[in-house]
Amino acid sequence: MSTAGFNSQNGTGQGQAYANGPSQNPVALQQLPGVSYGMTHQPNYSPMQAKAPAPPGPGLYPSGPYQPVPPVSSYQPVPPVSSYQPVPPVSSYQPGPPLTSYPASPGQPLLTRPPMGGLPSHTPPQSASPSPGPRLPPAQATPPPPSVSSSSYYQNPQQPQPMAPSWQYNTAPPPMGPPASMSTPPRGPVANHVNPAVSSTAPPPPSSAVYTSAPPAHVSHSATQPPGPRMPPTSAHGYTQPGTVPPPMNPMAPHTYQPSRAPYGPPPTGPPPTMKATPPPTGPPMGNATPPPPKAVAGLPQPGPPGRHLGHYPSLPPGYQNTSTPHNTTSPMHPAMQAATQPYTQAPQPYQQPPGGPGPAQLSPSLAAMSLQSSTPEALRVVNLLQERNLLPPRPIPAPTPCLPQDLQKINCNPEVFRSTLTSIPQTQSLLNKAKMPLGLLLHPFKDLSQLPVVTSSTIVRCRSCRTYINPFVSFLDQRRWKCNLCYRVNDVPEEFMYNPVSRSYGEPHKRPEVQNATIEFIAPSEYMLRPPQPAVYLFVLDVSHNAVETGYLNVFCQSLLDNINALPGDSRTKVGFITFDSTIHFYNLQEGLSQPQMLIVSDIEDIFLPTPDSLLVNLNECKELVQDLLKSLPTLFEKTMETQSALGSALQAAFKLLSPTGGRMSVFQTQLPNLGVGALQSREDPNQRASAKDIQHLSPATDFYKKLALDCSGQQVAVDLFLLSSQYCDLASLGCISRYSAGSVYYYPSYHHQHNPAQVECFQKDLKRYITRKIGFEAVMRIRCTKGLSIHTFHGNFFVRSTDLLSLPNVNPDAGFAVQMSIEENLDDMQVVSFQAALLYTSSKGERRIRVHTLCLPVVNSLSDIFAGADVQAISGLLACMAVDRSVTASLSDARDAMTNAAIDSLTSYRQSVLTIQQPGLLAPACLRLFPLFILALLKQKSFRTGTSTRLDDRVFAMCQLKYQPLAYAMLMIHPSLYRIDDLTDEGALNISERTIPQPILLQLSVEKLSREAAFLMDAGTVMYLWIGRNCNPNFLSQVLGVPSYASVPDNLFMLPELDTAESQRTRAFIGWLRDQRPFFPSLRVIRDESQWKASFMQNMIEDRTESALSYYEFLLHLQQQISK
Amino acid sequence: MTSLTMIARVADGLPLAASIQEDEQSGRDLQHYQSQAKQLCRKLNAQSPDRCTLEAGDMNFHYIIAQGVCYLFLCEASFPKKMAFAYLEDIHSEFYDQYGRRVPTVTRPYSFIEFDTYIQKTKKSYVDSRARRNLGSINTELQDVQRIMVANIEEVLQRGEALSALDTKASNLSSLSKKYRSDAKYLNTRSAYAKVAAVAVFFITLIIYLRFWWL
Repeated sequence: MSTAGFNSQNGTGQGQAYANGPSQNPVALQQLPGVSYGMTHQPNYSPMQAKAPAPPGPGLYPSGPYQPVPPVSSYQPVPPVSSYQPVPPVSSYQPGPPLTSYPASPGQPLLTRPPMGGLPSHTPPQSASPSPGPRLPPAQATPPPPSVSSSSYYQNPQQPQPMAPSWQYNTAPPPMGPPASMSTPPRGPVANHVNPAVSSTAPPPPSSAVYTSAPPAHVSHSATQPPGPRMPPTSAHGYTQPGTVPPPMNPMAPHTYQPSRAPYGPPPTGPPPTMKATPPPTGPPMGNATPPPPKAVAGLPQPGPPGRHLGHYPSLPPGYQNTSTPHNTTSPMHPAMQAATQPYTQAPQPYQQPPGGPGPAQLSPSLAAMSLQSSTPEALRVVNLLQERNLLPPRPIPAPTPCLPQDLQKINCNPEVFRSTLTSIPQTQSLLNKAKMPLGLLLHPFKDLSQLPVVTSSTIVRCRSCRTYINPFVSFLDQRRWKCNLCYRVNDVPEEFMYNPVSRSYGEPHKRPEVQNATIEFIAPSEYMLRPPQPAVYLFVLDVSHNAVETGYLNVFCQSLLDNINALPGDSRTKVGFITFDSTIHFYNLQEGLSQPQMLIVSDIEDIFLPTPDSLLVNLNECKELVQDLLKSLPTLFEKTMETQSALGSALQAAFKLLSPTGGRMSVFQTQLPNLGVGALQSREDPNQRASAKDIQHLSPATDFYKKLALDCSGQQVAVDLFLLSSQYCDLASLGCISRYSAGSVYYYPSYHHQHNPAQVECFQKDLKRYITRKIGFEAVMRIRCTKGLSIHTFHGNFFVRSTDLLSLPNVNPDAGFAVQMSIEENLDDMQVVSFQAALLYTSSKGERRIRVHTLCLPVVNSLSDIFAGADVQAISGLLACMAVDRSVTASLSDARDAMTNAAIDSLTSYRQSVLTIQQPGLLAPACLRLFPLFILALLKQKSFRTGTSTRLDDRVFAMCQLKYQPLAYAMLMIHPSLYRIDDLTDEGALNISERTIPQPILLQLSVEKLSREAAFLMDAGTVMYLWIGRNCNPNFLSQVLGVPSYASVPDNLFMLPELDTAESQRTRAFIGWLRDQRPFFPSLRVIRDESQWKASFMQNMIEDRTESALSYYEFLLHLQQQISK
Repeated sequence: MTSLTMIARVADGLPLAASIQEDEQSGRDLQHYQSQAKQLCRKLNAQSPDRCTLEAGDMNFHYIIAQGVCYLFLCEASFPKKMAFAYLEDIHSEFYDQYGRRVPTVTRPYSFIEFDTYIQKTKKSYVDSRARRNLGSINTELQDVQRIMVANIEEVLQRGEALSALDTKASNLSSLSKKYRSDAKYLNTRSAYAKVAAVAVFFITLIIYLRFWWL
């Protein structure tokens, strides 16, 4: 087992994991290649720069040599293509350009083409000079100015300086050139060609706009404007006062995308009903539609037009509409667009047409502007975090929608399955470095799906060079050829693929289910099998030492298995086996024909052997009675045991021997520190140091025995799931390796006891039930591919990296999540979109070999503000958490904490310096990142990373395991719990799911300030729920929901709501049940009062409040601001 | 004892069921044999002898073909041949009873993998030396195993390759001859042109000569 594999999995993360060195030390940051996000590839640029340093501006696009003919000509004449592709007129999107530009040797363009606008050209100073580029806007500004005169850029000489003032990117005025080009390449001829089409076809699909882009749009308008003064769209929201009468910019554009986007739900136009609006002294209560500090307005020559936000805010000051009407003179110019946008815009106000503006080319420019704006309005709205308090949306945050054409987006992969931290992929690594945000993917590949198309065919169509599975984002050149969207190779369409089994028609390869679904499952032909599919094999390894018997878990385990034995996934070949161990190993002969199970004891734990290899793993169907007998007698068998030692290592070796011929799943139940034989461990925790220790020791394994064994298991397709039920320190950091590298899962029930801790018992029971009955895939491998130019360098989750991009997963279960970090190795210059494909090959419990393929498509952008607009704050936080776990194991916890804080500082600094032009005071963040500091703070206070409070080492390590292993949706709850008020649940806005009414209370901020003594609150922290009852809680709630007459009589150890026949009780239980149904594990409920023992852990989740050792949210923001303005 | 049993459809070599038993002590690389077995199943066709033993080093492949299904058994060379064929017959009769009708319709590989259970049990009764004695009566009834063809696995697997090599050689030859033909044509025309050109030059010189010297 190559250690190299490990390095790629874990080791390498160390350097690159964190983008950010301490901000005080920018020198180091820039000079160490490893410090930035992912890998820096600045060296890559230098050759380019050397070759063509001069004309920076136009370089962004496949300019010059590329532009002229191809897109239109090559594209148009091909009818079949257009039928597949979304929007025929939009030739610049889709295969058109790549078609022509690509075949002409991909390498060549890089050389012949001038380098990227401002970005690369300032790279050398950046890397060379001690000060980091992003912090020095002027430095970056100097080179590009010439770019503005980009006559070569557009073929149309009439628009000589079209791109100069790009309002979008109000980064320092001079570098206008590069930012202007941010949208997708304006190909001169294309644009011209498109125009007529646009004007004639009624509402052009907004989607198309995104891609046709062509900056000329705003460009043409803005040509008359002094460069720079443009109000950044982001800040526009502030200026709602009609009096300012700004020249509104292309108004309609922003709204076209709204319906599909809905980035964060309805923008909080006002304080949510029950929230206390706490207006900051300086400004009006809610930032959105209200003016920010007036001085900012004054300071601006041309305050941004409010127009673009009109669509968002239903209620507009009348002045708005007034201001807009005068500009309607220009509306004839964009009839189509208006038509398209009107549904969303209340006040259609086209951009004020500058006199003498370029005539015919206008439409396409405005189209482009539309696309620009559409991607940005809500996500890029500037939020002053210090002033706006109620940032938390009232409902859980949905994943941001990538800014793709609608028809692509419609078929794109579900964000719950496949999600990227940046929904707009930067074009170059240097741009990514500038944005200071991690680029990565979060996957939940084996998620239980309600609807999954399954395809059976003898040949699975894949790209011949990169082996990508055919997917909705490939392009069909004609009926017989398709172009891979990852490597751009042109492949033949096989004969069988011409027939569409769904519509039973021939000759429509683009209608096949493979090309219609981003998530699909294939039944694999025999080429995908190295051996016949293995049967489902389950082996249970049970600790039966004195300690284990004391906890009483055996009863629960045996009962659960007995109850669900028929629900074990499998077919008639399913095999089961049992091993128990204390200081010796006990096997159970369950062979058919025996009258009762036979126990075989092996006391030689140094050299373990199998007493009867044939009859220990038996066919479940044939020996069900014996198995049931055994399960019934097992709990009593060891009742009187006095054996306290535990030889876990030997038991694991024995189990491995038993399973290695077939592979399968090994479930290990352990209740104490293994202290005998191989793999024995010592206690490494000093409880007295927990709270005071500055740095947490012993986060890494004490021995590599478990890791080595796990690798052997992985090689034999055995996965080990660990159930740890213990009140003592168990060294999960060491034991966890057995699951981590064999793709198992870890369950931890601290202080489990059958009598003293009924909540844990219930939790264990429910988890076991799910564990036993959930779907399972055996002998699986997963490969993640991405478009040429991107590369994956670090993986997070439980697996073994067999080769650079192949994850070996002996078992895969529906509750496992994965994350990967990516870097951009080659510039993605001539691409509009990139794709990612995760393919999971597994054997189902029925012995079928299947391949589940997920494909995600994301747009490529080349401006910082677009990157920020596409940031997915949850995914970023999730990925940062994974990176921080690695960091705390390889370096130290304080390093990891610093790195997380720096991640927030750096990205906000970058935003402030590169995207914003007006330097307002305060801590500014784009709306899409407005929760970023909160999530970072939550991570710092999370069990995994907190300091200063007494946290048991095992608890901490388990929390870390979960952060890495849980799919994002569940991990987010563990990072930032949800708080609801539930004593006044109503049916208003309730969901209706299968005839149950589920009330939907709003999310509250995690602050004690939100609690009130008169109410009851539910905190959903992922694995546990707290029901907090105020001292003066409504007696109605107490009696109707809890079934107790008064506050004093609420029992201390209540962990279940009584099933009362009242409306309130039903509502509450429906709500809690609904929350529980959303996740695969079972969160136990704890009803707490002021004096409960759990109150402390409840209060620890009040993230926004100050604790003895940690900052409050506001203090944290101040800290960030201080760092940023340094 | 290491063994491998495989059932496949003869028409297209689609594996229908299989059972593998690896022996820790022998430590043989079954992977290799498995791929050989798969290749073999693909090579077999209706014309193949319906009973055959193929030698592959110290292991033997025994197979029978019946009703379009091939039953293949890999075992050590020391394992009695007649026992192996009795075992295959046994498997065949049971498999045909259970799944015979569905064989032509399935498309998924290893559709009848559940038959594995029966295979394992049967194999145990044949391999187990104590149980073997009980089967003695069956063995005597078995037809004369001496007549069963014996061949080498490599030969069988490479037979097709030799043919295809021949095929490529022949097609190479034909393309070469075509090329020769066109080349020859080209040469012929060239030489014809050369002759014509030579004659023309001669006459032109003659005319010029006549014109300048004689006039």
